[in-house]
Amino acid sequence: MATLASSSSTVLFSASSSNLLPFSHPSTSRLSFSSSLHPASSSLSISPTFLPYTSSTSANFATHAAFSVTASAADKKKVLIVNTNSGGHAVIGFYFAKELLAAGHAVTIFTVGEQGSDKMKKPPFNRFSEIVSAGGRTVWGDPAEVGSIVGGEVFDAVLDNNGKDLETVRPVIDWAKSSGAKQFLFISSAGIYKPTDEPPHVEGDVVNANAGHVEVEKYIEETFGSWAVFRPQYMIGSGNNKDCEEWFFDRIVRDRPVPIPGSGLQLSNIAHVRDLSSMLTLAVEKPEAANHSIFNCVSDRAVTLDGIAKLCAQAAGRPVNIVHYDPKAVGVDAKKAFPFRTYHFYAEPRAAKTKLGWQSTTNLPEDLKERFEEYVKIGRDKKPIKFELDDKILEALKVPVPV
Amino acid sequence: MARVVALQQNQLSFSPLASSLSDFSGTRLQTQLQFKRKLWQPKGSFHVSASSTKKILIMGGTRFIGVFLSRLLVKEGHQVTLFTRGKAPVTQQLPGESDSDYADFSSKILHLKGDRKDFDFVKSSLSAQGFDVVYDINGREADEVEPILDALPNLEQFIYCSSAGVYLKSDLLPHAETDAVDPKSRHKGKLETESLLQSKGVNWTSIRPVYIYGPLNYNPVEEWFFHRLKAGRPIPIPSSGLQITQLGHVKDLARAFIQVLGNDKASKQVFNISGEKYVTFDGLARACAKAGGFPEPELIHYNPKDFDFGKKKSFPFRDQHFFASVEKAKSVLGFVPEFDLVEGLADSYNLDFGRGTYRKEADFSTDDIILGKSLVGV
Repeated sequence: MATLASSSSTVLFSASSSNLLPFSHPSTSRLSFSSSLHPASSSLSISPTFLPYTSSTSANFATHAAFSVTASAADKKKVLIVNTNSGGHAVIGFYFAKELLAAGHAVTIFTVGEQGSDKMKKPPFNRFSEIVSAGGRTVWGDPAEVGSIVGGEVFDAVLDNNGKDLETVRPVIDWAKSSGAKQFLFISSAGIYKPTDEPPHVEGDVVNANAGHVEVEKYIEETFGSWAVFRPQYMIGSGNNKDCEEWFFDRIVRDRPVPIPGSGLQLSNIAHVRDLSSMLTLAVEKPEAANHSIFNCVSDRAVTLDGIAKLCAQAAGRPVNIVHYDPKAVGVDAKKAFPFRTYHFYAEPRAAKTKLGWQSTTNLPEDLKERFEEYVKIGRDKKPIKFELDDKILEALKVPVPV
Repeated sequence: MARVVALQQNQLSFSPLASSLSDFSGTRLQTQLQFKRKLWQPKGSFHVSASSTKKILIMGGTRFIGVFLSRLLVKEGHQVTLFTRGKAPVTQQLPGESDSDYADFSSKILHLKGDRKDFDFVKSSLSAQGFDVVYDINGREADEVEPILDALPNLEQFIYCSSAGVYLKSDLLPHAETDAVDPKSRHKGKLETESLLQSKGVNWTSIRPVYIYGPLNYNPVEEWFFHRLKAGRPIPIPSSGLQITQLGHVKDLARAFIQVLGNDKASKQVFNISGEKYVTFDGLARACAKAGGFPEPELIHYNPKDFDFGKKKSFPFRDQHFFASVEKAKSVLGFVPEFDLVEGLADSYNLDFGRGTYRKEADFSTDDIILGKSLVGV
């Protein structure tokens, strides 16, 4: 049981069992009590935001139950999220909005484009009622006109989860600064790290100077007093706008081979989007700790491309037939044929752990089970799909495909 | 560094020390509070004697890790005894070590000559001498450790050099201290030793290094690359060369061993200790070249399944990803490796191979088998 220390300084209790039995099991319920108690904030309610859960494989470094402190009036933040209307990052704003609202903060989510557009019929946008019913405000428009759309409101924190280049983000940054926003947060990308012989990508490592995100990061640093930049990789989670694990489920559930370019040993990083959301929330709640910082916004485990296929198969309770191929030899563009980068792409969330006291809760084996349940629930396993590129690859390799 | 914990009777404090215990369960907490009520040093206690000088025994200590560790301990003022069979000289001057430093060290280090497999001798000689702390650097099997524990009932701390080789192979990496271990690995003796320590109630700490490198390395890790680079030979690397491994400098490891000494936060804890960054096989070849001032090497990739090397090893690393996170050591102990990979390899090169010293003669026989066959891209 966690007990509260009487001191008002930051106390971090971490329970890490030494786990030495030859047939070791992960500890069942390990509690982490991470809090930063400022003398100013008094009697706060402590509610578990994540239920402790056991996992069949020990896939986590630490703890699963994070006790988050519900904000008191003094700590309540007004947050604006400028959110993209498509792609892999769209779901980040959705989870972040919900987490902030649950913690008692005020949220406006500004989605690029028009409320009535076709894009809004896809997840997570088609679930925005969840934001509204939790007390959040939803608006739409052109980010270059953000000021007029949010109507003169002053925010404590502004998150741009939309732009990939300075042209797109600058108007938001400039407006945020002039409107008196205190903190600027930006969703960048771990894709800007330069390839290295020495993984993982760590905050501070050399980035590709030509990348659009890099210009944005630089401009934020020059412009804002309090800022933090987040570099994600891949994510899974209900409400995702872009396929991730589905690519594997599509093949596994139809008993098709899973073609993976290269050796399959390439490392990647898949996080449950709740990990990204919790990191962003901590940054909002601890602006001094987050200030002037780059955060790799990822889970704390790498997984190989082969490993993703195997874990998806395990989650689906089915066998998997992995087939490796050389895209050049076969004559396909790997970017079109496969949903992940085909070289080592692995960043670690070291800054978030040391500066924010953040913990990863992603547990791929368990999370993928949940994802598979939803995959089946929406009937995607029965959906007729064409596998043209797969067939081309398998033909070239002379691998038989079940009819 | 030795920590002094002052106990006061009737002091019922919920100190940060308590929270750093391994199992944050109610019962453990209560026991800790009970300890604090009594002015008492229980067997294997978290309380450390007030004196900063300890009587320390190192099992081994003349070959690699212990050579550096023993020097650090002697410098800190401890009385250090090395338990060895005496086959190798008890002390040797290190490359780069001044005559005066060496003289000082060799005058202070003590030697207990014996075979650790002679359990009766271990028990009798150790109990006759009494030691505060034991560093077990060369233990492989649990039965080797039992006589030590039996001989020293008031042992303050047993610090064990285990291995990250105990981790069960996984698709999810890096390995963390809480990960599943493999009871069938060839390092199972280390696992069994850790279990024994846990069961005995002694105050233990276990360190799990990955691949260790540095001057005097007797495992041909960097030396394997240096031989080929010096000979101007291409470097044959199995499969894609994308396999990721991890090296930790022996001096950083020795420093970590010092950091856990008398450290309550290390009590009954396991720590992975290695470099902060990992490295691909191809990357390691390039790093060795940089470190030794060699031109960028030619790398040849081959499919190991196409060859039969008999009993010979064609490459010094496991043909798989193998790396462990050192985050726990960093956050709990404040462990910070001083060497990054190229710097560390340069240190090894400049103090060892680059001076013409190495442990194993170059053997290019497996290379020639590989290079002889026509090479197919993997």
